[in-house]
Amino acid sequence: MKYILLMNGTKPGVGTYQAWTKTDSDTHMGVLQRINKELSASGEFVATQGLAGPDEARVVRGQKNGVPVTDGVFPESKEFLLGYWIIDVETPDRAYAIASRISAAPGPGGVPTNMPIEVRQFASHTPKS
Amino acid sequence: MKYILMMNATKANFDLYAKWSKEDLQRNVAFMRAFSKELKDSGVFVATEGLGWPNEAKTVRAGKDGEPITDGVFAESKEFLAGYWIIDVEGPEQAYKIAARASAAPGPGGTRGSMPIEVRQVLCGFADLGL
Repeated sequence: MKYILLMNGTKPGVGTYQAWTKTDSDTHMGVLQRINKELSASGEFVATQGLAGPDEARVVRGQKNGVPVTDGVFPESKEFLLGYWIIDVETPDRAYAIASRISAAPGPGGVPTNMPIEVRQFASHTPKS
Repeated sequence: MKYILMMNATKANFDLYAKWSKEDLQRNVAFMRAFSKELKDSGVFVATEGLGWPNEAKTVRAGKDGEPITDGVFAESKEFLAGYWIIDVEGPEQAYKIAARASAAPGPGGTRGSMPIEVRQVLCGFADLGL
């Protein structure tokens, strides 16, 4: 079963992260890389990507003439996708366990961030509601 | 430059979509398939996926002992990722043009859609993380 683990954050949340010391962010990234390696070794890894910061985000809508209308203004509460992992696991519990490990990645001073990770299946695996 | 085009929707939006007629759904899916094929034919396609419905979504946080704590309750206003395309294009303008086409996917009765598509640059992949 394929799952996507979504790391979401608001603009203030991203601002806080960007203010971390280099040591803190290096430690954080080191743990995430180790998780990636483990998932790769266990055959559960499919893909991971990090996205550019929310300042670069645009919402696009089509017009009748096909010219895109772009907008870069979002509500303050808007959750932006910061990055994701796609994993292929046997059970939802295994997906939750992996998400939990990502959630526990260390933040400032090595304290686990406990950041929320949204876990979703791919459409081909779930019945329509 | 790689960009991700995201379709986001609230649960209320999903509920409306679930009520579309079979014909409307088929027309929409046919558009999406043709759109993905065009992206492939023009060499900009990287990946596309549709996600499961929001009622299956869970938020996971690590507990003190590392055990996952799951929660399936979300704010009504929460935007759920419904699906995405990743494309590899020359620049943002090309990404916006492609997003505008996805935005216009047909809705009920074949009317021209105008759903919002969030466009973001993708920074790094597996290889970039030193793996």
